[in-house]
Amino acid sequence: MLNTRTSSAFHQLALQQLTDSALPTGAFAHSLGFETYIDRGLVSDEGSFGVWLAAFVGQQLTYSDGLAIRFLYEGVDLGGLDAHLSAQLLPRQLREASTKMGGRLIEIGSEVFPSAELDAYRALVTTGRAAGHQPLAFAVVARSLGVPFEEALAAYLFAAVTTLTQNAVRAIPLGQNAGQRVLRKAHDDVAAAVERVAHLTPDDFGAVSPGLEISQMRHEWQRARMFMS
Amino acid sequence: MPDSAAAVVSPTGELSLRVALRAQRSVAVQQFHQGALRVLRPHYLDGSGQVCYVMVNPGGAYLGADLYVVEVEVEAGASLLLTTQSATKIYRTPGSFAEQRMTIRLGEGAELELAPDQLIAYREASYRQNTHITVHPTSSLIMAEVITPGWSPDGASFKYRELRLRNEIQVESDDGTGLLALDNLLIRPPRGDVTGMGFMEGYSHLGSLILVDPRVDQALADELHRLTISYDAYSGLSLTRTLADTTGLVLRSLSNSTGELNRLLGACTGLLRERWYGRAPLNLRKY
Repeated sequence: MLNTRTSSAFHQLALQQLTDSALPTGAFAHSLGFETYIDRGLVSDEGSFGVWLAAFVGQQLTYSDGLAIRFLYEGVDLGGLDAHLSAQLLPRQLREASTKMGGRLIEIGSEVFPSAELDAYRALVTTGRAAGHQPLAFAVVARSLGVPFEEALAAYLFAAVTTLTQNAVRAIPLGQNAGQRVLRKAHDDVAAAVERVAHLTPDDFGAVSPGLEISQMRHEWQRARMFMS
Repeated sequence: MPDSAAAVVSPTGELSLRVALRAQRSVAVQQFHQGALRVLRPHYLDGSGQVCYVMVNPGGAYLGADLYVVEVEVEAGASLLLTTQSATKIYRTPGSFAEQRMTIRLGEGAELELAPDQLIAYREASYRQNTHITVHPTSSLIMAEVITPGWSPDGASFKYRELRLRNEIQVESDDGTGLLALDNLLIRPPRGDVTGMGFMEGYSHLGSLILVDPRVDQALADELHRLTISYDAYSGLSLTRTLADTTGLVLRSLSNSTGELNRLLGACTGLLRERWYGRAPLNLRKY
């Protein structure tokens, strides 16, 4: 038996590997909608990107990804949750981003953090009974490693924020230090999201703001694009 | 708190309507209403056999703890156009919320066009609308809706407390039932700024169009996208997942005018009515 301290150190290292922006899930290729705001001239610097990021954390990552992770930790049926995400992610590019990165995470996870739970999810996906969404793939791995829920959720949210900020640094572009200031400011948004996710109800699932969704949808027809979403 | 209050059990208004095909015409084969909801005498707008029913709320408004329950079934091959007589107005709902629960079932090859007037949420209004739709893989659904903030004494928008509109669309096929689309809208102005970037993008009115039909494809999405860009509104649309060979399409549009949103949605539904059903654009001439 591992004592608490070693077990905690173990899952800390596992979480660091899983949330490292170098994890090859292809996240560098997705703006998840902010490229539409760049195209409209609404996101153009550190401040305006920070406004978008706060909305994204408070809406998309809270009502969709975050709540899906919580439901999985609470033991809600994985196949049902996967179907709910496929039905709720209405912008096609966002749905495809979630399953593309989710698929990669399932593959990587199966090699480095194998578990019966992840095998079961992988089997659902390979037989076409599930799509394989990123937040669920992450939650299955984190839960199988014994990572407590709040820690897993905060790590997932901050990993998403980090990747998006790195993508913004390249796309806007922003200075590297500006990117770090954006990340530091996002700590509060992530903490608020973790707090809020705990209090949402099943009826809240997928209640993402219309503005974010419309921008994610419009990206499909944007002419010059750096990102797939 | 509107969040914790429960709606009363006995509905304020109840309406149940079942439409079937009889001798090339769609007719109501079962109809029931009670309390503050009823339908006007059916009419036929064209020679296609589609029946049009107009829902009426004699009270004219939704108030706190009001519960409206609507059940609609369109049987195989039948076609229904369901609309309202006037805007749905949600007034103050202190300590509670008004609620509408709608259950819709569409049979094989059945058509439903749901075209209510706009929803107006006034100061201190809380409203929940839950719509559960079950379609057959060959059914055809067009639903359009506009949500507008009501007038308030200081002229500001977003004086309502909470709007929740949730549409859940299931496809029922021989392989079982699957969730095609979950469209969930939650606007809660007192909980933080909803006006700006990433939420309402500086607009006050929201329009939405949901289509489900085996003929929905990317070419249609491209065409509707081209159609929407000429309107004074910020619009986006996308295809849902595909289940049992049917696909949905969701369009959302932000604007500062009910009229502009109605024109935009009318242009989209006009195109589809003509192409899918060979019918003229809707002109309900209610006012």
